[in-house]
Amino acid sequence: MQKESKMEAPRIGVFVCECGSQGSIIDVDDLTRYATTLPNVVYAEHMNYPCSSQGQEEIIDAIKKRRLNRVVVAGCSPRLYEPVFRRCVFRAGLNPFLFEMANIREFSLYCHRNTPEEAAEKAKDLVKMAVAKARLLEPLQPIELPVTKKVMVVGGGIAGISAALDLADMGFKVYLVEKTETIGGHMALLDKTFPTLDCSICIEGPKMVDVGRHPNIDIMSYADVLEVDGYVGNFEVKIRKNPRYIIAANCTGCGECRDACPIEYPNPSDMKLGVRKAISVPFDQAVPLIYTINKDYCIECYKCVDACGARQAINFDQKPEEIEANVGAIVVAIGYEMYNPEDMECYGYGKYENVFTALEFERLILAAGPTGGKVIRASDGQKPHSVAFIQCVGSRDINRYEYCSGFCCMYTLKHAVMLKEKYKDDVEVYVFYNDMRSNFKGYEEFFNRAQKSGVNFIRVNLENRRITEESETKNLMVYAETEDGKPVEAEAEMVVLANAAVPVQNATELAKILKIPIGANRFFVECQPKIRPNETDTPGIFLAGACQGLRDIPYCVAHGSGAAAQAAAILGKSKWIVEPLVARVNEDLCSGCGICESVCSYDAVRIEETAGKKLAKVTEGLCRGCGICGAACPVGAIKMPQYTKEQVVAQVRAVLEEVR
Amino acid sequence: MPLKTVKTDTAEALTLEWILHVRNYKLTLDKNLCVGCQICALACPKEAIKLEKQPKIPGEKAKHAKIDIDLEKCNFCAICDILCPYGAIKVTVNGEHLLSVVEKESFPQLIRDIQVDTSKCPVDCVECEEACPLDLIKVTRLTADKKIVEDADSLSEKEKSELQVKIDIQEERCPCCRICEFNCPEGVLTVRKIFHGKINIHAGKCPEGCTDCLDVCPITGALYLSDDKVYVNEMFCVYCGACKIVCPVEEALELKRTMIRHTSVRSGAWNKALERLASPVEMTKELKTKGSLKARESVRKRLGWKGT
Repeated sequence: MQKESKMEAPRIGVFVCECGSQGSIIDVDDLTRYATTLPNVVYAEHMNYPCSSQGQEEIIDAIKKRRLNRVVVAGCSPRLYEPVFRRCVFRAGLNPFLFEMANIREFSLYCHRNTPEEAAEKAKDLVKMAVAKARLLEPLQPIELPVTKKVMVVGGGIAGISAALDLADMGFKVYLVEKTETIGGHMALLDKTFPTLDCSICIEGPKMVDVGRHPNIDIMSYADVLEVDGYVGNFEVKIRKNPRYIIAANCTGCGECRDACPIEYPNPSDMKLGVRKAISVPFDQAVPLIYTINKDYCIECYKCVDACGARQAINFDQKPEEIEANVGAIVVAIGYEMYNPEDMECYGYGKYENVFTALEFERLILAAGPTGGKVIRASDGQKPHSVAFIQCVGSRDINRYEYCSGFCCMYTLKHAVMLKEKYKDDVEVYVFYNDMRSNFKGYEEFFNRAQKSGVNFIRVNLENRRITEESETKNLMVYAETEDGKPVEAEAEMVVLANAAVPVQNATELAKILKIPIGANRFFVECQPKIRPNETDTPGIFLAGACQGLRDIPYCVAHGSGAAAQAAAILGKSKWIVEPLVARVNEDLCSGCGICESVCSYDAVRIEETAGKKLAKVTEGLCRGCGICGAACPVGAIKMPQYTKEQVVAQVRAVLEEVR
Repeated sequence: MPLKTVKTDTAEALTLEWILHVRNYKLTLDKNLCVGCQICALACPKEAIKLEKQPKIPGEKAKHAKIDIDLEKCNFCAICDILCPYGAIKVTVNGEHLLSVVEKESFPQLIRDIQVDTSKCPVDCVECEEACPLDLIKVTRLTADKKIVEDADSLSEKEKSELQVKIDIQEERCPCCRICEFNCPEGVLTVRKIFHGKINIHAGKCPEGCTDCLDVCPITGALYLSDDKVYVNEMFCVYCGACKIVCPVEEALELKRTMIRHTSVRSGAWNKALERLASPVEMTKELKTKGSLKARESVRKRLGWKGT
């Protein structure tokens, strides 16, 4: 139904938006009148909300009635609204690329708010430029890319599990790549979850088992993502499975090898409070239930080989295995790590034996933990009669992590309530907090429960807090000051620090591999913080869970499902349509010099030799239309559709006309 | 509290520790007992033990090599503890000297075969006690009612005739040099060596007047000086290799271990240790012996064959 507009003389319609304060600062009547004076403009009007359904209908009507073949909307940011208006002109029967936007909101109104006259002048210039470009617009055809109906999920914590299960249930093949030996992430290490005090592994375990048994999910645990190439719908990924020295297919998870093994080492899953064998699983509920030999500690006595016997699951010569796979989309869910507060000397962590981090405390109170659920001091193995929790250790600190870690207040409430319920009046609990952040469903109610259970909440400043140790008793003195500067202190037999959650160590490395942006705080950057929190700037790569921003379990689950839905939107299509705004090479002009290849940040332009001639070739799926190659080409062989040299020069001429 | 890994080095001892909330692993090297031999460094499966040769001060006796243990590499497996012929290294878990590798039969123990028959001991003989180069033997005399006698001369002849001799040997520190056996006038002691082997000093290659090997040898009489040259008395050598470490010339001192007496276990870790302590040939020999024993055992079981 699209008309061929190239041959006709341009008939341009200009639609000026009155939205917000635009009308009060810029005289939209005047601007509209001005638009009509411009060459080839056959129609101009202003309307309240061109982006609303009603506004769009009016534009469609005008296109039809006035036989418009080019459309300019003077309004806000094309980043948000260009797609809306492209669809609008398409519905009127025009090629969607015969549309141009003049951004009079950001470029005129917002930056010249105090000088309305100049703002109005600039708005006119912007409209004039848009019209000048519109005259030269050409119809473009969208690009169709094939789609591989498989997906890679990086990270097997609760967000990754959630994304993987949703995608697998929708029928897509999922490669779930996990760095450690088991999926489960932090949630698998927790004792209880707030605010319901559900056993954490009891509610996550079934999900982990579902992942393990799902016919559409291939778990690649103890593996790293090495390379990612390609583009939306067509990623090529290379994954390295690290050697466990166990033949997965033969391992039944019986644990007889573990019982025979003489060597123990500090168990990272227990925060190194306890030990695990050199051949073992990190915890009993591990998925996949495949044992791993840690060669850093193994003495190779081969007792495990004897114990394994006829199953023959042990292979000391196992080598890393590299796997290549094609996927249509990628979900990144690598989670977070805990900040080690040893460098904050005021808290004495690492120096005083009875100062713990929250996750260490979690392992202490966990029945399956190294102490069998007994909360005991490191100095004497005795149950503490008083425990002080210190909030915001490293978080909300401009010298360390400026952000609020989000879930520390709640897990501290959980720990406080658990202590009170476990030991009743035999333990005194103090929480040194600054703000209690309990702002989600059921959380404030849980705060009330903690208060009723007899926990002492002490509101203090974040600065000037310190802890000292009584040398004889190994008890700890907590010093702080209230908001009005009065000193407070308490003696506690144990201190638990709510240390900050931080991005994982190799987030930057993974960002490079995936070619996705990472923030200064090393969390991955979403496409748009409010309305596109799952997307990255790279089409086809989505974010799930705490690696985008810290969030607790239910929100990780939801975020994971969100990422899954968005990935499915790609995987569900047989062809993925992308805008044709990619570099075009004029092969007659191209000399194959390779300058374009050297300047492209996306590996989208490559010099290829065909029939003895070197020519620049553009991979459309990779090209982001940035135009650097076009600018760099010495012979003008690369054209950027919608930003052709003629169009850009016409805009520059238009704006400089009066100056000249 | 985070995991603490601690290394302390004093004049008396080198201590390595993993302090976990629920466990404490501790390795102590008693510097007074260590003779700077090769055994632990060769045996360590993690290659965590390094020998540091001590600089020679002109005019002074050579000093034995010092041992350094890498805390990053050590996994407290206690193989060094088990193999130290001088009992200088002790690994404990929560303060207890219970070795998991022994308990799980993943590493053998050295056999210190020391037989003592005190019934033949002359009452006033202390030859063995005086001969022991490491002061490990204590001879005591007991009355018929098991009282320790300090001064035998004060006793009557009858009491003297009733005296019993008791010999206490600190076996875990004994490298089994056999010096006591050879000094015993009555053949009371029978000692079999732990390490068997071959040691040769090529006097022609020795630097003029060098006695470094002799200076560090912990077994008096295993090496001796004659005409300003050092000679070996293989009868007493325990093949620990302390001499080999300090020898300044590559080929002057040859030391080979051929057999180590140990309890019987099936262990890959032991095979590797044996390969390093002796040689691949010796390891293969032992494997073959074990293999043929095993084969013979299974044939016996299945066929009721009673071959030799």
